[in-house]
Amino acid sequence: MDSPETPKLKVLMVEDEEDTASLLKFLLERASYQVVHAKDGRQAQELVSTMAPPDIVLLDVMLPFLSGLQVLTVIRKREGWKKVPIVMLTADGSEHDIKRALENGANDYMIKPFNPRELTSRLKRFVAHAA
Amino acid sequence: MLGLDQSDLTLRIGTIAAISIYSAVGLLLLGILLLRYIRNHKDRRRQAVTEIWRPLLAECVVEVPETLPPLTTRDHLVLLYLWNHCYESIRGDARANLKELARRTGSDQFAKELLHARLLRRRLLAIVTLGHLQERSIWNELAAMLRADNAFVSLVAAKALLHIDAQAAVPLIIPVIGTRKDWSPLKVVAIFEPAGADIAAEAIAEAACLASPEIGSRLIRHLAATQSQHALPPLRALLQKGLPSDDLLAACLFLFGECSDPRDVSTIRTHLSHPTWYVRLQAASALGKVGMEEDEARLIALLDDEHWWVRYRAAEALSNLPWMTAQRLTKLYDTLNTVESQEQLVSFIAQSNIKAPDPAPIVPQQAGTA
Repeated sequence: MDSPETPKLKVLMVEDEEDTASLLKFLLERASYQVVHAKDGRQAQELVSTMAPPDIVLLDVMLPFLSGLQVLTVIRKREGWKKVPIVMLTADGSEHDIKRALENGANDYMIKPFNPRELTSRLKRFVAHAA
Repeated sequence: MLGLDQSDLTLRIGTIAAISIYSAVGLLLLGILLLRYIRNHKDRRRQAVTEIWRPLLAECVVEVPETLPPLTTRDHLVLLYLWNHCYESIRGDARANLKELARRTGSDQFAKELLHARLLRRRLLAIVTLGHLQERSIWNELAAMLRADNAFVSLVAAKALLHIDAQAAVPLIIPVIGTRKDWSPLKVVAIFEPAGADIAAEAIAEAACLASPEIGSRLIRHLAATQSQHALPPLRALLQKGLPSDDLLAACLFLFGECSDPRDVSTIRTHLSHPTWYVRLQAASALGKVGMEEDEARLIALLDDEHWWVRYRAAEALSNLPWMTAQRLTKLYDTLNTVESQEQLVSFIAQSNIKAPDPAPIVPQQAGTA
């Protein structure tokens, strides 16, 4: 008799850099998340308009085609996505980006290089809070 | 007969020339195909190594696996690129795991061998890797590289030294900064990042004092990015010691304004009447950031300066004073005696009105003169 599996929490990860994306994917899957990966701003925009809202979004600021800040605006305008927690990934020293992201509806930010343990614990906290 | 022989010879030469050209084109095509094949083969090989090691590196961030795949020399080069990228993407305890992986794969020894490679990119890769691994055994070699002809090698060596031991590296790097005109000040500030903002600020300020006025002033301006007060004591000492060049003095005043330490107000004030216009300009700007109520009159006096930019910065500084309002600026405008001083204030009055739209905007009647 199969016991019913706990549904995995879904995270939309928007990251263009392949090595970083691979690392993030590994860490998130290890923390039992189901990862949906968008490789650039345009792909993220498409996913936002087609998929059901995830449990959390991990969004890089520097992206091809559409910046992370533009994707953030798209997400916050989309019905059903307005309360999805968004954690921005930003390079060290870009305080201006952080300020703009928080003003535009991001819930938190992580500075690259990031601490893997801190990343998963922050996501966990947000998801728990949203639940 | 002779005519026939001649045409035969021409025909033969033509045939040989045509065959030569076709052969050359054929060889060229063959060469291109060969190069393409080699390149594709290398790409496939690199891709295969990346596919094996990328997930392994991710796994190592959490825990180093017990068994690791074998590595050829070529594969090891690809691994070093991936390893360095992964190392620079993370911080915290996970870096220790990556160091363990590097030791287990023999990457430390491999990088030491690459340190003397003929290709520059391999030497750079080796320096970066050994810096991340904090390999003390190559300290002297890295120190010697600070004086390398190639600016990339010297900068990367400086960064590696700072990774290995920041405290010991700073005294080695400071005298070099002043002599290397090929080091961009922005890069210099960047290489000190691993050492922390305070160590970086102090080291760069000391280097600026020792460097030529041209390099020193550029370094001081970039110090603002560190946002550390540790840069100020060496610069204060420099100003107290004697007469620095106008460039250095202007850069110091700029930094005093950015750091806004009230202890520097008196120094800033003394340079409001400096004979060089850009020193007066920086003094005016700095006073707008750190000045007190009594400095308002000093800035008003600068609105009559002979140099347009000094008048402009003085007006900007006045509008930046924390207690300044659009109404107060307008009142001040009415008391000014010259058109030159009035015209500088107009745009800042307009800006103040935009920032604080209530009460109703006040525009001076003589605004048209600007």
